[in-house]
Amino acid sequence: MKQKIFLIGLNHRTAGVEIREAYALKDCNTVELGFVTPAGPVSEALALSTCNRVEILAVTDHRATADDVLQFWASHCGGSVPQLKPHVYIHEDLEAVKHLFTVAASLDSMVVGEPQILGQLKDAYRKSVEFGSAKVIINRLLHKAFSVAKRVRTETAIASSAVSISYAAVELAKKIFGDMSDNRAMLVGAGEMAELAATHLINAGVKDIVVANRTFERGEELARRMNGTAIMFEELHRKLADVDIVISSTGATEAVIRAKDLRGVLKKRRNRPMFFIDIAVPRDIDPDVNGLDNVYLYDIDDLKEVVEENLAQRREEAIKAEAIIASETRQFARWLESLELNPTICDLLERGEDIAARELARTLKRLGPDVSDETREALETLVVSIAHKLYHEPIAFLKRRTQEEGAAQRFIDTTRRMFNLDGEDVPEDAHADRKKVVPLRAVCGGRTSENQH
Amino acid sequence: MELYDVLQIGITVLYTFGAVLFIGGMLGMRPGLKTAAGLSSGAGFALHTLSLALYFKLMGYGSFLEGDFHLSLLGWVLLAIFFALWWRLKLDFLALAASPLALLLYLSSMSVPGTKVLMPKALAGSFFMLHIGSLFFSLAFLAMAFAAGALFMHLERKIKTKEKLVGFRKDLPSLNTFDHANHLAVVFGFPLYTVGLLSGFIWARFAWGRIVTGDPKEIVSLAIWVVYAYLFHQRLAMGWRGRKAAMLAMAVFAFCVFSLVVVNFMVPSHHNFMQ
Repeated sequence: MKQKIFLIGLNHRTAGVEIREAYALKDCNTVELGFVTPAGPVSEALALSTCNRVEILAVTDHRATADDVLQFWASHCGGSVPQLKPHVYIHEDLEAVKHLFTVAASLDSMVVGEPQILGQLKDAYRKSVEFGSAKVIINRLLHKAFSVAKRVRTETAIASSAVSISYAAVELAKKIFGDMSDNRAMLVGAGEMAELAATHLINAGVKDIVVANRTFERGEELARRMNGTAIMFEELHRKLADVDIVISSTGATEAVIRAKDLRGVLKKRRNRPMFFIDIAVPRDIDPDVNGLDNVYLYDIDDLKEVVEENLAQRREEAIKAEAIIASETRQFARWLESLELNPTICDLLERGEDIAARELARTLKRLGPDVSDETREALETLVVSIAHKLYHEPIAFLKRRTQEEGAAQRFIDTTRRMFNLDGEDVPEDAHADRKKVVPLRAVCGGRTSENQH
Repeated sequence: MELYDVLQIGITVLYTFGAVLFIGGMLGMRPGLKTAAGLSSGAGFALHTLSLALYFKLMGYGSFLEGDFHLSLLGWVLLAIFFALWWRLKLDFLALAASPLALLLYLSSMSVPGTKVLMPKALAGSFFMLHIGSLFFSLAFLAMAFAAGALFMHLERKIKTKEKLVGFRKDLPSLNTFDHANHLAVVFGFPLYTVGLLSGFIWARFAWGRIVTGDPKEIVSLAIWVVYAYLFHQRLAMGWRGRKAAMLAMAVFAFCVFSLVVVNFMVPSHHNFMQ
């Protein structure tokens, strides 16, 4: 391969939040910063920066090394390579491609299968297109990454089950309430896990959060963060009738809520269902609550069990997802290799001979069995030479243009797509977005920067 | 009646396809199959409408006295309500009950010979519209409640007992949705049932001179009404929800099916179609 692909990054597993913050690359314009230059060692780059992950994807010729990329990253963030280096992973070429596909498919996320990462990756890609730092390889790579993510989502159930306790609780709540826009949740105790569960609930659309904490101030602080309201701990039972979901995580040694407390509450709320999530140890909510009609109680062990079952299922799905990624990576590798001139010329000629042979076979069939060998040979020579002559000019053009600096990949890629040498299915609406956006003269001038199909 | 026969075959084929595809689509989580099922059932429904209209044109109001028309109309009403609920509330899971049930009713309608109830045909019209129309609609609502109730109980048991929720259909609606379907069945179904019953008694007054004739169908229907009224009351006044309400609605539907199958076809009664 003429080009080298580097993917250098850090994530929630390799670096703490301080490092992730210090080395964030939000809106990093690699062209303006002089990292990506037309004739320089780095020809393309993309920076992805989320709260759990910072990654740089760089396409270089063999003059640049991973250390150069690290150097740029560290100095841009005002840090140092020795501080940054222990936290990063460095992937090269196909490993980089595979890693990017894995990230896009949300297999590398903290909550595996969560869909946000794909949106963040799309944003990062859009930025690099705007900055002009995405060219042939990054364009192709990212579009491939998006389609891999889509395949993994539709062909496996990897994203369909919750593998964190708090997320599992929310999934259960959805099974009970469906659309949660009319539901209120109450946090009893302001623990960290309860907060996480509440955040998931808010994302799932609950209307309101009420916080009841023994230390009112702490409850109030949490309520403010969640746009909710704080109540005194003593008011808790009185407020139960107004809430549908209760997440409890106090340090109390005795049960805070019992079945007998709930009978009146249920009557008052006309038996609308209630869901109790008890993540405290020792437990806050008496297990006999689960015996009441329309009341559902899950404690931390129940939730763990759900999560473990989901994890087991996910391991099976992950194998499927990895197979998809592996096959797409292989396909991408083939494309990368074909970006040389010679394989493209071979493919073109082969395509021509292929068509010629097919058409010849059809014609011979129509002519019947009486055709003499001479005629047959003459026809064979005829069709093959037509095919070769037809492709002669495009090949001569390619040879000429690929002598220019930096033009080789662009023209080879265009040719491959124009003659569909990679045999890909192009959806009918592939260019729909461009019809509106790109003015005609840009198309005529051949200056479209995006390299979509 | 050649056209009528062709229609019968067409409807049966389309309903069968619809039911099979619906079940396949729901269980296999294949939205494409569900759409195909909807189209097939919808086409069957259109033909069904046509066949009912033809029958009615031929027989006039007397068609309401025919057992086959009766069952066929019931299936038609069931699908009509199902399509309405699918469209308005996205309760497509009800297809699990509605499509096979409509097929079954249609098939049994073809095996029922006509009845010979004597009644001035001119009078029969508006009365039967009221009596049978309202009862059929309430029965269709109950069938929906039965399907929703069964699914509610299934899902609720899983959640309550913390049984494996893995591999559970992700797009299956929530407990609340099932309960809502049940609520609709009671709120609309019970008043309709009451209207149906009242109109029957009023008819009895004109036809036989007595409000209560001691007919078996009357007695069974009254008993069902009492249970249904209890459900209506508990649900609306006492705030019953969930499992109890689901179970009772299922029971009411079971009684209705019993009344339809056993009384209308097996017991001597002036509701009997086999006389």
